[in-house]
Amino acid sequence: MRLLVAILITTALGLQAQVPRLTDVQERRLANGARLLLVERRGATAFHATLVFRGGRAEEPTAAAGATDLLARALFGATWPEDLEAAKGQSVLDALLKQEEGLLEALRLERLHHRRGASTAASLPSLEASLDAIQSRLKAQFSSSPLADLYAARGGRQRAEATADALLAGTELPLEAFEFWCRTESLRLRTLQLSHFSHARKALETDLKHQGDQGLALLRGAALPGHPYGRDLSDLLPALEALRWSDLRTYAHRALSPERLTIILVGGLSLESALPLVERHLGSLPVPPDLEDAVLPEIPADLGDRRVQALLGGTPRLLAGWRIPPRQHPDHLALRMAAQLLAGGQASRLPTQLIRLKLLARQVGLSLDVPGGRLPSLLVVDVNPADGASLAEIESALTSEILRLQQEPILQDEWQRALAQLELEHLRAWDEPAALAQTLARSWAEGGDWRLTELDLQRLRILPQEAVQAAARTWLKPSHRTTVLLEPTLAASLDPLEAELARVLKVLAATRIEDLAQREQLVFEGLRQLRMLGTEERRRTLKLLTAQLPPEKR
Amino acid sequence: MRALLLAGLAALTLPAQLAAQPRLQHFTLPNGLRVVHLEDHERPLVRARLHLLVAADDTPPGRQGLAPLALRMVDHSDAAGLKADVFDRFVEEAGIQLTASSTSGGLEWRLLTRSRDQDRAFGLLADRLLRTVFDPAILELQRLACWHEEEGHGASPDARLRRALVSEPGSRPTPTGLGAISLEDLLVFHARVFRPERAVLVLHGDLGLEQAKRLVLLSLGSWTAKEPIPPYRSLPMATSSQQVTPEALLRLPVPGAPLRLQAAADRPDDVTPEAAALLGLLVTQDPALARVQVTVDARSLVATLDAGSGDGSLLEERLGALRQRTFTQADLDHARAAWTAGRALESLDPGLRMDAAFAEVEGRHVQAPRLHALTPMDLTTALRRWLEPARVRIGAVGDAEALKALPADPDLRPKP
Repeated sequence: MRLLVAILITTALGLQAQVPRLTDVQERRLANGARLLLVERRGATAFHATLVFRGGRAEEPTAAAGATDLLARALFGATWPEDLEAAKGQSVLDALLKQEEGLLEALRLERLHHRRGASTAASLPSLEASLDAIQSRLKAQFSSSPLADLYAARGGRQRAEATADALLAGTELPLEAFEFWCRTESLRLRTLQLSHFSHARKALETDLKHQGDQGLALLRGAALPGHPYGRDLSDLLPALEALRWSDLRTYAHRALSPERLTIILVGGLSLESALPLVERHLGSLPVPPDLEDAVLPEIPADLGDRRVQALLGGTPRLLAGWRIPPRQHPDHLALRMAAQLLAGGQASRLPTQLIRLKLLARQVGLSLDVPGGRLPSLLVVDVNPADGASLAEIESALTSEILRLQQEPILQDEWQRALAQLELEHLRAWDEPAALAQTLARSWAEGGDWRLTELDLQRLRILPQEAVQAAARTWLKPSHRTTVLLEPTLAASLDPLEAELARVLKVLAATRIEDLAQREQLVFEGLRQLRMLGTEERRRTLKLLTAQLPPEKR
Repeated sequence: MRALLLAGLAALTLPAQLAAQPRLQHFTLPNGLRVVHLEDHERPLVRARLHLLVAADDTPPGRQGLAPLALRMVDHSDAAGLKADVFDRFVEEAGIQLTASSTSGGLEWRLLTRSRDQDRAFGLLADRLLRTVFDPAILELQRLACWHEEEGHGASPDARLRRALVSEPGSRPTPTGLGAISLEDLLVFHARVFRPERAVLVLHGDLGLEQAKRLVLLSLGSWTAKEPIPPYRSLPMATSSQQVTPEALLRLPVPGAPLRLQAAADRPDDVTPEAAALLGLLVTQDPALARVQVTVDARSLVATLDAGSGDGSLLEERLGALRQRTFTQADLDHARAAWTAGRALESLDPGLRMDAAFAEVEGRHVQAPRLHALTPMDLTTALRRWLEPARVRIGAVGDAEALKALPADPDLRPKP
């Protein structure tokens, strides 16, 4: 009878929805050093799998700029049968890809020579024709089925993302395809065929040129000068154009090694059923020899108050970024709470003050850990002014709010509101497999420990309010700040002559000045002075300046 | 004793069953509000989506932007005697997320709350919907904000182009249209649209059916509407043929950027959800498209081409070729198998389950018998209908010089 009561009590407890616990995540280390994290979802008839490779854009050498983004597209963007069949000894595809690589490189060099005036364009048509012919032969090797993608054909979907700290490849498939997924990912990583490399590179180049206003890139560059977190891929297009198929494969061998890999599985899988398959296929991936972690430069937080005024985009915008410590730093959690208090909802401080009360802004956003959390990065406030409000007024109101956070006690209801929203967001992430995998991946790639997913919230619950004020005083101070003021002039309201002058000045400045803040200041000042000249004089100046540009930039 | 033991053991398996697939149940309140309930006790969370149907004839001509502006007014006005900022504070203090959005099919509120706070959350949702008093003082501000939002300032040029293309011509808010909207228009719109019989509520999460019924009845049971307001008669309505009349080629200049062409076509009413679902799988990966990327969802088909010099008419050619595409029985079988297998993915995503439930209520869900009855010819015909030249809207983004060099817009359309 006692047993029965115990069973019934257990049953009743089991009926209740569960709050997330660390024990929900089961961790195993595979033979080759890769980690497996598994969260079982009873009754789910599908699974979510994320492969996380620590490293990301920040660890790319300049010569391999864009490699992480390219791998996200060319390796994990789709699952083509031709990329997996090559592992069975098919060498035709390899040979064609090598020929394509040679022709692409020859064309690039020929175009470069031609632009510099060192050669005529005579050989370009024949090279282009040869490339067309090779690409047609390559295409003939690709599957012609309309449902060629192996995961899509099984009802699945996949998505890959390159971040500053990691490469994440997520897949969702029905449960019965789990072994197929293990086998496919193992083949993909062993083969690194990248058969659609040239197409992926071209698409990436186009996407980079089609980005909207580059305010955030400008802020990162000015706030984190010389650091990989401050780098903007749009500035490194020539390096991306020079990156070859074989270069990317070599890079991938190092960057996608098992020791950098964590496999996250969430769904209707048990550890007992999943582990043997994962171990057999992904646990046997070879480990490249002599693997060393990249050494990344340090950046002091106290670089001084930096300001950039730029003519960019069609609308005015203010971006303020403060250099903050990495996720592992003890103050990081307090800054996360500070971010929530400042802009974590419509009733938080910045929207209330800037949008509702002072009518200065249309939109206020705040992001933490820009562009990543593994190294010192930025807390960024992004404000779109209301009609009639000046950027100076917004800057002053923003400064007031930061000072208030540093100096005035935080009200209890405000604190509870911020905590309640963070708790809700945490619960939501645990409820959605893709979001949970993303959160675990970020915790591991940025903080070095997936447990931070849960531990951070537990620590937030007991965080003293004074810690937030202290962290705000330490990190959100003027000497850590970079402010970017974007004025809406270029293209939209500039006359074509001024737009061209701005472009030429920017290119010239980029060849001489590394610091983005100084560069933008120079362009801004240059344009201001040129406006004092007559049209004819400005035209002549433009001619003189253009003559100083390298031929490929004219 | 044995019976008790058996009952206990049977109950042991219950949590697993509950966690398996959420049970889909429907009920309707006496006021006409339709409710779909998906029970899922995995986590102590409750999600809700309340969708209000907005039809084309709810917006009189010359008042484009009425629906999104009305939504902004509801969202920023006082509710239940609470100032708008106090209301927001109440919502956030209770650990609730309440967001609103305007889509082509209507207005939608999304609610996320811990299950222990569900009573309060639904009370606040009801306050927002039923007890909001439009504040005339914020009209001008919201009008401006609405225009900025529609313009997509800050979004990438690609996103702006796509947004412009997938909106029905004539339905896009314009400064003139927004400027002409009066407080009276908004009140009439509110009275026409904010009605329980026009609403569908989808609930998902940690609440049982009886609990859900009690909760919805208590919070939204008092939602009553007066007599239906007749359609606008004094102003000429846009006809369906007008709605598909192609507009001039949209051109968005981006200094120094290469040319990107994009085409969008709304799904015709006579293309069934089943055909749309399978075309979404077959068309997006068709090797014949070569450099053209196609995405298909329940409402529209979008094709994108990164064009080089002299490629101005390539998108036209590719879409023309796609329109001539014929499907085989093998294509159909593969797509059907992929679609059927893909249903399992709904068990991973509460949002997908709610989408599917809502589609079912609206009658635009994929039905297995109709899916199996489809023939290759049905698919071929559906794609031809979808890509009829008059239905396709084309735009381009790129350097101003490249945009100027494009041929006149009729030349870019797929040839009939």
